[in-house]
Amino acid sequence: MQAETGSSAADTAGRVAGSPGRARAAYRAQLLYVRVMMWLVGRLLQAASAVDPVIRAEVAALPADFTFAMRLSSGLAGLSMRRDGERLATRKSSAGESLSLVFEFKHLTHAFLVLGFVEGTARAFANDRMTLSGDAALAMKIVRCLNRMEALVLPKFVAARAVKRYPQIGLGTKLGLALKIYGRFLIDLFGG
Amino acid sequence: MRRDFYEFFCPVKTVAGYKALEHMAFELRSRGVSRPLVVSDRGVVGAGLVTTVTEALAADGISPGGLFDEVPPDSSIASVKAGVAAYRAQDCDCLIAIGGGSVMDTAKAINILATEGGDDIRPFAGVNNLRRPLKPFLAVPTTAGTGSEVTAVTIIKDEEAHAKLPVVSPYLLPDVAVLDPRMTLKLPPQITAATALDALTHATEAFTCLAKNPVSDAYATTAISGVARWLVPVLEEPSNAEGRLELAQAATMAGIAFSNSMVGLVHSLGHAVGATAGVHHGTCMGIFLPVVLEFNLEAREREIGELLLYLSDAETYAATPASQRATAAIARIRSLKDQVKSLCGLPRSLSETGQVRREDLDAIAALALDDGSMIMNPVEVSLEEARALLDRAW
Repeated sequence: MQAETGSSAADTAGRVAGSPGRARAAYRAQLLYVRVMMWLVGRLLQAASAVDPVIRAEVAALPADFTFAMRLSSGLAGLSMRRDGERLATRKSSAGESLSLVFEFKHLTHAFLVLGFVEGTARAFANDRMTLSGDAALAMKIVRCLNRMEALVLPKFVAARAVKRYPQIGLGTKLGLALKIYGRFLIDLFGG
Repeated sequence: MRRDFYEFFCPVKTVAGYKALEHMAFELRSRGVSRPLVVSDRGVVGAGLVTTVTEALAADGISPGGLFDEVPPDSSIASVKAGVAAYRAQDCDCLIAIGGGSVMDTAKAINILATEGGDDIRPFAGVNNLRRPLKPFLAVPTTAGTGSEVTAVTIIKDEEAHAKLPVVSPYLLPDVAVLDPRMTLKLPPQITAATALDALTHATEAFTCLAKNPVSDAYATTAISGVARWLVPVLEEPSNAEGRLELAQAATMAGIAFSNSMVGLVHSLGHAVGATAGVHHGTCMGIFLPVVLEFNLEAREREIGELLLYLSDAETYAATPASQRATAAIARIRSLKDQVKSLCGLPRSLSETGQVRREDLDAIAALALDDGSMIMNPVEVSLEEARALLDRAW
């Protein structure tokens, strides 16, 4: 058997590693996108829970001290929310805290698929892309809130990929509620 | 580009068939243990099934360290506490569960405390809160339906909080599932039928819901064939040992399938009816299965059509036009329910149970919507649609 020379060993290592620079750049881009989307989803859900009666009804059925988080298992990105009276509000998370509900993506790419609207929340669960810790009944309420919010704030052709069945909402109703949600989002953002 | 992805996990060793119980001593010894705590309930003990197991163990030189037979119909924190006290008092080193779903659940919870110490199961509630393997655990099911012998879940009733505590961890999986036809020979006809329909529903939902995958499909379809082929012959001849073993195997395979692919709307509705009206889980499954399959046709017509092959035979499947296979499969399930009703009186509808009040249907629909199984159903379900399905099942 011929011993591998120094240069051929380097070639082999290069082939095995592929293109680490490109992979790192793609990873960083995905992480940035996921962080931005997690922030946006939290803020939009907060706004939607203040103006949409369907989401408000779901929030009203949550325990008064309800908290939840959606995050990467690596801890590199996440959003955390709590019930604040009759609406949901974003909150700061801290290490080791106990939450009512935690959705955890097993990998960044899995979160990227869901937050990039390539894959819906239910499909992500079905594909074992995330784990759930906490009461399943509460999780169902939050999933319905997320689905409703997405159906209201996203164009139909995008939202239809994120939910199992796009809800029957008239265009006028959808636009009216979307305007209210984005308005509330801006007030929360700049109005304190 | 397809982005399909799935995980499949089942490390449980299955020991099945003639004299399977006699293999248990070997299984214990090969794991370096010899003093099992036998966990069971009074009914199973009264039927002589625990004696059958202990005699099989004794023939090969193993004597149980103790017997804990105080498992109630719904596993409870108190019974888990009493069970682990018995485990410690008798200086046991492993567990054998002999019974149905409640016995299995209790034994899994006792095993957590026997390994981790303490007498409170509540800190372990939730998903993946166990960090190491538990004591060796053999499961001997005496019903053919729940599939608990191959699932990584236990649900314990918290009487104080009026809530159910689920614990989910791969470490809860038994080391060995022992399927011996002697264990189900004396199962009453209605329980035989209800548990078999439970297994049929586990397999059917695993095959038709969102998390289906090629490996669980193989288990699910074999399980469906087993129930379809053997349920009626066993009800006609309860001492049919071959049929009993086939049903037990079908239930275990259905358990492997659904513990990997989950269940859907049939279970959501069934859990809600069970919690509200106390109807037996398997009976609920039989009631809702055809109704929900009709509802899911809009998203799963091809898969439901494929079920015809496993519910009937190759000739029937080939002779049925592809466009009619789904409705033919659902009709086959209805026909099976009719046969079961005539043989043992198992209710086919909510009204036939005599336990459900029509005025509770609104609350049942709302409860079903919050059930965790709902997320895996291939079709989104609104409150109004859930309510309409209850009317259809009435």
